[in-house]
Order: sequence, then C-alpha cells, then structure tokens
Amino acid sequence: MHWKTRSRLTGWLLGTVTIGFLLFQWAPMFTMFTLSFSGENGGTTFPMNGVSLHWYRNLWEADLFDDFKPPMLRSFLLALACSATTVVLSVCAAQAMRGRFRGNGLYFYLLLLGLMAPGILVGFGFAILTRLLGIEGAWNTTAYVVHVSWALPFGFLTMLAVFNRFDPKLEEAALTLGATRLTAFRRITWPLILPGVIGTALFGFSLSYDEYARTLFTSGSDGTLPLAVMAQLDRQLTPELYAIGTATTAMSLIVISLCAIGFWLRARALRGSPT
Amino acid sequence: MSTIRLRSPAAFWLALPAGLWMALAVVLPVLLIVWVSLWGGTSVSPNNPITFDNYQRFLSNQNYLWLIGDTLVQTAMIMAITGVLGYCIAYFLTVKVASPGWRVALFLAFVIPFWTSTLIRAIAFVPFLGVNGLLNQALMAIGLIERPIQAFLYSRLGISMAQVSLYTLLASGPVVYMLNSIPPALREAAMTLKAPPIIVFWRIILPLTLPGIVIGQVLVFLNVLADFITVTTVGGNKLAFLGNLILLFYEGSQIRATAVVSVLLMLLMLAGVTLALRVVDIRKIGG
Amino acid sequence: MTLADVPVIPQLDLELRHIRKRYGDFVAVNDVSLQVGKGQFICLLGPSGCGKTTTLRCVAGLEEPDAGDILIGGREVTGEPPWKRDIAMMFQDFALFPHMTVAKQVGFGLEMLKKPKAQIAARVAEVLKAFEIGHLAERRPAQLSGGQKQRVALARAMVTEPRILLLDEPIGALDYSLRETVMLELKTLQKRSGISFIWVTHDQNEAFSLGDHVVVMNHARIEQQGRPDEVLSRPRTAFVAGFIQGNNVLEGKAGLVRDGVLEVMTALGTFRVPLLDLAPPAAGSALSFSVRAERLIERPGEDVPNRIALRCITVEYFGAFRRHVLEGAGGTVVKYDQFGALPQSIREGENIVLGWSLDNGVLHRAPPA
Repeated sequence: MHWKTRSRLTGWLLGTVTIGFLLFQWAPMFTMFTLSFSGENGGTTFPMNGVSLHWYRNLWEADLFDDFKPPMLRSFLLALACSATTVVLSVCAAQAMRGRFRGNGLYFYLLLLGLMAPGILVGFGFAILTRLLGIEGAWNTTAYVVHVSWALPFGFLTMLAVFNRFDPKLEEAALTLGATRLTAFRRITWPLILPGVIGTALFGFSLSYDEYARTLFTSGSDGTLPLAVMAQLDRQLTPELYAIGTATTAMSLIVISLCAIGFWLRARALRGSPT
Repeated sequence: MSTIRLRSPAAFWLALPAGLWMALAVVLPVLLIVWVSLWGGTSVSPNNPITFDNYQRFLSNQNYLWLIGDTLVQTAMIMAITGVLGYCIAYFLTVKVASPGWRVALFLAFVIPFWTSTLIRAIAFVPFLGVNGLLNQALMAIGLIERPIQAFLYSRLGISMAQVSLYTLLASGPVVYMLNSIPPALREAAMTLKAPPIIVFWRIILPLTLPGIVIGQVLVFLNVLADFITVTTVGGNKLAFLGNLILLFYEGSQIRATAVVSVLLMLLMLAGVTLALRVVDIRKIGG
Repeated sequence: MTLADVPVIPQLDLELRHIRKRYGDFVAVNDVSLQVGKGQFICLLGPSGCGKTTTLRCVAGLEEPDAGDILIGGREVTGEPPWKRDIAMMFQDFALFPHMTVAKQVGFGLEMLKKPKAQIAARVAEVLKAFEIGHLAERRPAQLSGGQKQRVALARAMVTEPRILLLDEPIGALDYSLRETVMLELKTLQKRSGISFIWVTHDQNEAFSLGDHVVVMNHARIEQQGRPDEVLSRPRTAFVAGFIQGNNVLEGKAGLVRDGVLEVMTALGTFRVPLLDLAPPAAGSALSFSVRAERLIERPGEDVPNRIALRCITVEYFGAFRRHVLEGAGGTVVKYDQFGALPQSIREGENIVLGWSLDNGVLHRAPPA
C-alpha cells in the first residue's frame, strides 16, 4: 500500500465525519423549511397533511394578537440603523488605529470586550443603567445603543483586517500627486476598502436582526422579531414560526449570495478583460 | 505617510466615538452589575449599603452550587465534542479536500448556517428531534430503532445536540485559520527528516494549530456558559443552566440575585480566558 | 564464475529510469533518466515550470511518479515514502519549524531515528559547532537572519548523514551579497562529506560553478546533461544555447556537406558549421546552430569562412565586458561581447562586418522548436 493511499484513508474517514456533521447541521433547518409548507391541518411535526402556503398567508393576515409584522418592521429598521452606525464607527475606529494614537493597545481590548461579553450580561447591565438613570427602554433608543455595541467589534475587526491588507503606498502616491488627506481617503482609500465596508454593514445588519438576549433586557414594551418569536414559542409552537424562520433564513441567504456575486463581479472587473 | 498622520489628534478624535460607545454600552453596565450585586437593602437606588450578603445567600444554597457545577460539566462536554469534531472538519476542509471548488462548496455549507439566526436554528431542532421528528424517522427507516426515542427533545441530549450543531464552527474556524497558515513545506520537511505522518501530525501540525484550538475552545466556552436560548427552546424549560438562572431571577425582579449570578458567570469566564492565555499567547497568532 | 570474476560496478547513489509525472493534462516530468555516481554534485538547471523541482520531489518521495523507477544506493524505492528513503532535503524557504528551537530542530531527524537522548544532544552540539551556529541553539526561527536560517536548515538536513541531499533553490531566498560565500561553503562541505548533492536552480551561474554534472531541463524533458564545460562549449539544442547567456542562436536550412562541414542557409547568409559527431541532416531540413558572442571577430580577414554584414544598434557596458547589439538582414539580432576593457571600436549606428572561425560554430542536434 503506497503511503499516499493510507493518507487517503484518513481523508475518507475525516470526510465522513465532515459530511455527517454537515447533514446534522442542515437537517433541522430543512425540517423547518419543509414543515413551513405543510397543509392547513398540518402541525408542528410530521406528517405534513398536504402542501400549502397556508402558514405564510396566516402570517400576512394575522390579527393584532399574534401579528409578526410590526416586530418585523421594528427589527428591520433597528438593524438598518445599527448597520449604518456600525459602519461609520468601525471605519473611524480602524482608521484611527492606523494613526497609532496613545493608548491604542488598550483601545483594541476595549472594543474586543464587546465580543467576549455575553449578551445576557451586557443586556442586564444596560437595563440597570437605564433604570438608575430613569430612562424608559425602547427598541429604537436603548436597544439601538446595545445592538451597536454588539456589532461594532465585528465591524472593527473586519475593517482592521481590511486596512492591514491595504497598501499605504497607494495613499502616498495620491498625496504626492497633490491630493489632500481627505481627498486621498475619499478617492483612493474608500473605493478600495468598500468590500470590507459592505461586509461590515452586513455584519451590523444580521447581528442586530438576529439578536435576542441584548434586546430582551433593553427593548421595553415593543419588542423585535426574535422577541415576538420567543414569546410565541412560549405560548405555543406553531408552523407560523417555521414560516418566519424559513422566510428570514431565505432572506439572509439571498442577501449573502447577492453580496458574494457583487464581490465576484468586482474582482473580475478589477482583473479586467483585455477586450 | 497615509491618510492619517501617526499620533495626530485626528486619530484620537476618530477613535473617540467608538470608544465612548463601548465604554457606555459594555464596560459601564458590566461594572454596574458588580456594584448592584453588592447592594444591601431592598430598593433600586444608588444609596444602598455595600455588603456580601447576596453572595452568601446564593452560595449557601446547595441547589445553585449544583447548577453551577452542572453548567460547567455541560460546557466542558460541549467543548470536548466541538473541539474534536471541529478539528476533524477543519483538517478535512483545509488539508484533505484537493479540489478548490469542493473546498469552497463544503466550506460554505459549513459556514452559511452561522449567518442565520441562532434562535431560529435552535427552534428548528424541535421538529427535528421530536417523537415524529426527522431524526427518529430516519433512525427507524434505517432500522436502528423500532420505536421513536422520546428523550431527544426536551432533554440534555437534545440540548447538547443543538449546542454541538450551533457551536462547532466556533471551535473549527480558528483551527482552519491556523492550518491555512502552515506552509505545506513544513509537513514535507518533517517527512524527509524521517517522520511518518502520525508523528508529523503530533510534532508539527498539532503544536502549530494549538493557538487556534485554544481560541476556538474559548469561544465555545464563553458561548455555552452563557447560553440560555437552546435550553429554553430545545430544553423546553425543563432544565436550567446559569444563563437561565439569570433570566429567571430577572423576570422575578430579583435584581440583586440576578447580579450575583451574572458576576459569578463573569468570574468563571475570566478564569477560563486567563487559563487559556496561559496556555497560548493569543497575540502571537499570525506572527 | 567465481565471486572474484564479478565485475565491480561502482554503486550509484541515485538512478532515475524513465520517470514520468503528469498532473491532469499537464506533463510535469517526461521520460527523465539520470545516473548519479558516488558523492557527486548534480545541478538541475532550467526555467520555472520545466519539471526540475518535480523531479527532485519524486526523488524525495513527496511525489509519486506515474511511471519509471527510482533507485537510491542501488535499492528500488519508487513506492516508498519519504521517511523511509536515505535522503534529506533543503527547501527553498528553508521550512524551519517555527515552534522549535534551533537545537530541537537540528535534533529532529535523529529523534526520528530513535537515537538515545544523550547521543542526540552530543551530535547536535557537534553539528551546531561545525556550522558555527552553536550560539543560536536556543533561538527560534523567527529570531534568525536569512543566513542563519540557511545554516540551520542545512545542519538539520545534514545531521543524519543521508546518502543524498536534495536542495530546492537553496540560496534563492538569500541576499545577493551572501550567495557567493554560501555557494563556496556548500561546495566545500559537499566535497568533504562525500554526500551526493542534487541542487535545483534556475540560475546558470550557480549550476555551472557548483555542479560536477549539469542537467538542463525544459518542458519536462532533459535537454542536455554533462560536465559544465561540455554543456557551456557545446550546447546540443537551440534551447540550451539560448538559455545559456552569451550565445547567438541562428536558424536556417541544411545545405550540402563537404569534408564534415555543413552549409547552413539563414536570413543572414550562408555559413559553414562543422558536423562533428552529428549525422548529416537531409538537405533543406530546418536546423539551428550557435556561436558564442565573445567568439565573434571584428572586421575578419578573407581566411575567415563565416562573415556577416551588420549595423550596430546599441553598446551596453556590463561589469566585465562590453556588449554590442547588432542587426543584420531581415532584422536578425546578433550579440558581440568584447572582454578585456579594450577601447571601444564599434560606434552605435556604424556598419561593420563580423565573422567567426569554422570551429566556433556549434551545430544543434534537435531541430529548432
């Protein structure tokens, strides 16, 4: 037996483990996807009793009590705001890190802290803070602040990595050609870091949109979608929850693939074709 | 020379908003928790006397100590499983898959679920693990079991399965990164120095990926220790870990007890991270 | 026949028999055969992608050839893994283990041979001393300079005293200023140790100054092999002639053969080139020959059989010589190198006749590609 054959055997073994895990990882999601299309008399488990869009229609036409539309709208707006804020703050912070201001080492750990601190602690602590200050929590004020603090470290690290790969000679070239720092940033730096910025925006959006623990403590009476989902789960698990899960998952997959295609097209355009 | 001058005031002002934001939204709240955990009295006010009574009361309750221990045992178990599983997957994807197309495809299949909501993924485990769930159906179809297994859902087994599914990527990701940074020539150099593959793995690959393993383990540790979503969804509130206890106290408006558990959780996390840093210097990564 | 009658065949350190290796549609090594005698210094020379590194990796066992046999010290090892072959290898970027100290690193090969600890320590100390890196024993690769890394890599490979040391562009990662010293040291080391070196490089200076035997490869095949002076003075193919600096390669058609001299019709005119050991080519067939740029004669007399009318385009100064680039009929470019710091005799733009004596034309075996 050639030694590479034996190495291929371990490959097959590890491959089986990997494929097994991937199946295990995807199977629950596929169960949920499938069951979200079950018939009107279908329940939260098999059999499906037919195939229909009944549960999606239910979602759309829901009455006041289990209406997921307002929380979904709130989640969406909150995620947009969080995404925009995260982009601005992390680009500024990463650009500042390049300036190596005094205390930048400590600053790095300060921003990383948000990554390590579990949501349940941050949420609870922030709830205490607002209570002591006498502020009423709301999804678009307190929850917004906490959501940004969650997405910011991810955005910051992404932008740091982007700036690390960035060749400062390009900026130097622009500066020697007579551009001011601001112009050089706007005309040279910004277009080059744009893919990273888009990545940061995506992070900001999806981290906020999916966040549960931090929101639970800080959103006040009007909750976001994950809170509504959890509340419904507490009352009763219904196929509508599957429909929501399927819809949001599909949404994020579509957004991710659109961005991936965008990056790919950009990379191809940059490589350029001779024609 | 770049668009930002070294040590310029501009750098400081650019850094300030994000720094303030994090200080206000993360550092201050966490410090407040520590303070509140030391409050005597009964009201929510800054004027409460400082005392360790809350800790004493909590730690004297045998049940709570058990729960802390239980949470740690669960965390250690999930760390072990995701560690081994994550390493196998990382090794397969980076070393064993030869075709770049397949590697990307498998990697995407591995990573994409991470981009979707943890809550949704946890909920998806309910119809997967249930009595009529996909897992039972599949096991019965291949003849491994005759009757559906009740114990998948609303049990520690179910919670563990969901946690393994949710957190293996955390254990695997840093290992993938470290494996990718090992030049193939190192492996070959060891082989030409008479080291058979298994020795190459133990003496070269494993030590060089150790920082990745440790970081992955830290991430899993932090996440499982504070996890309460999987327990409430897949566990059906039959079981509780530290995170659930925090929620329970908070919903019962026991703000001091909530703070105490939170501080204990924090201490456990700090201890874990410190221990990990002793094993490996995280700052050395990439260097 | 008694034992005494058995002819003593000097054992070869390495023998490659018709090695082939392909990756998908790409043929990396095509029918490569090579014999390396005891303690020889072999240089595999060629442009990148010519198959020299793949050949080396086949010898190491890092690649499995699709066909052919590999014998190390007379023993067939084609299917054997790298760790069972009597070789060591030095890698282009040295491939030092970043997590091991220099001492650990150098002792690694001995550890793999399961030598006792005390013996390993003693041998490592001895080798480190011999390579003048004893003071670096406790350092890690990140704390070493390029030259120090090179020594560590060499010490690590040599410590087990293998039969063959394989070197893949071993000084390519070093500063230019260091290379010459290191080359000299390595050559001395090779002579003293009696270990066969197989040195892969794209740098002809390295190959011709180091090798006892130079193997020139192109497009997965061996174009020519032999002693350095042999290859330099008699390039056997247009590729080898073009690859070696300072050759003028001229293409043309075969004419008549008279007294072992072939007439070759080219765009620049008709020239007379000796056949030597080559069979006379069919009249009209395409062929090529070369003339070294320093062998051209300025304003040759009537007794010089090969003459060309040219116009000088540029004159460039290199360190040791002056190069004239000249153009002839049909835009063919000819180089003429002048050594010895003579006063400049040809100006740019000047028309001049150059020539060469009969025995300076080297006919190529293979027709031009």
